[in-house]
Amino acid sequence: MYGYQDIPLKIEKEGISLFVGKEAENIHYRREYDGETIEKILLSNSDKILLNPVEPLHKPKEITPYLLIKFEKTIVIEPKAKKKIFLKFPIEIGVFIQGEQEFKVLDILTLVKQKLTLYGEVRGGIICKFWESEVFSKIPSMNQLREGVLELSISNTTSRWNEITQVVLNAYGMKLYYNENSVTLRASMKIYTGGIGEVEFFDSPIYKGMNKSLELYTARRIQVAATKFIMEWGL
Amino acid sequence: MNWDIIIFGKTTLLDLLLVILILLLAVIIGKAITLNLRRALKDKVKKEHQRNLVRIIYLVIIVFALFLILPILGVDPSGLLVAAGFLGLVIGLASQSVIGNLVAGIFLVIERPMKVGDQVDVEGTMGYVEDVKIMSTIIRTYDGVFVRIPNEKVFTTNISNLVTHSARRLEYTVGIRYRDDAEKAVEIIKDLIDQHPITLKNPEPFIFVKELANSSVDITVRFWVPSPEWYPVKRELLWRIKKTLEENDIFVPFPQREVWFKNELESKITESSKSSKSKSK
Repeated sequence: MYGYQDIPLKIEKEGISLFVGKEAENIHYRREYDGETIEKILLSNSDKILLNPVEPLHKPKEITPYLLIKFEKTIVIEPKAKKKIFLKFPIEIGVFIQGEQEFKVLDILTLVKQKLTLYGEVRGGIICKFWESEVFSKIPSMNQLREGVLELSISNTTSRWNEITQVVLNAYGMKLYYNENSVTLRASMKIYTGGIGEVEFFDSPIYKGMNKSLELYTARRIQVAATKFIMEWGL
Repeated sequence: MNWDIIIFGKTTLLDLLLVILILLLAVIIGKAITLNLRRALKDKVKKEHQRNLVRIIYLVIIVFALFLILPILGVDPSGLLVAAGFLGLVIGLASQSVIGNLVAGIFLVIERPMKVGDQVDVEGTMGYVEDVKIMSTIIRTYDGVFVRIPNEKVFTTNISNLVTHSARRLEYTVGIRYRDDAEKAVEIIKDLIDQHPITLKNPEPFIFVKELANSSVDITVRFWVPSPEWYPVKRELLWRIKKTLEENDIFVPFPQREVWFKNELESKITESSKSSKSKSK
């Protein structure tokens, strides 16, 4: 389903009904899912639509650029160790149309449950999108319309054992890649003394030959916006 | 070089140099203070107010320097000071509230209990902060009314900023009938809050039977939401709770009271009805 699609286009999948067709000089866009209908008339000569996974932080509305993934089981990492784990993260599907010079996002939808949470204290803490994931030691199978795989390299820089129960990701740095079967994201988490973690993304796919997603947060990122996230309210 | 050469009146070359030095110092100090002030107020105050405040402070520094210069130039400033003092007193008395508002405005800028766009409650006036000016604070109430509150009042009153913290707790009291299953009602409400995308997973919602009231079993519902979203969620969830409870045969009762009569009411009614019937005949 992901990638460039020719117009006219009709998709019926996982409860999504998506139609893009020519009507005289214009393009008619219609999408139905879970009782929600979006209809648009596009005044464009484009004959391609792009569907790709985007940062899962636009639905139900843009409230926060942070995604908190809670681990189903606590991870305990030994001093000075570097380990790799895999987690699942939610996906939102972005529908774009290509103009002369830039893309325009037409629609964003998601098939997964939405929930928010607070990371930290009421005073000073931050609102995050909430997601709970199993911790995998190998790349798990996934429904790429619902979930992606996050490869998280954890590095314990301290000389103490550390427990990790969650990771917070900043949308302003997410580098999503996709192919016919998978959506992937790679990040690192460095643990420092005092239970502080620094989370950063890698701009590379897990599998070779994957396509890079057109991300929305990255596109609108201003120079000063940080892409790393410092987890100072606990791991 | 002879520094005692008289330039005019009793003013010597040295005096003139001193005057120039004081003026230069005043300008440098003024510029330094205003530059730092501009930086400090950069994101706190609108440019227009920032400019006015900086100008006033700069002017005060220059006027102070002039008062230092006058005796060096042989002008006795005492008369001027008395006149200025008197003028200041008159102006001060006449514009007591204006100066009060101005000072309060400066303190509001420093303390920053609210910023533009915040949702606040200033002594019963609830709405969005449109502007924090030097003299007054502008609030757009939820029904779209423009309210200007003098800063003196804002500064001395209680300000509730509804969105300063990331999250806010909302609370309902839901009364159900005594014959309804309160545990089931609690489960239904818990599930509704869990399913709602905007309510927070953590801090956890807290739902419990709070009181066995006169007409109902009262259930307290507490949950957290992102602060800016408090009103739409509060409005939406209460109605959804009511509807879902009713779909599950759990109802909010009307106020009711059981009344026990000491005498047999029925017989009296019968007697009275009999007598009224006979009268009518």
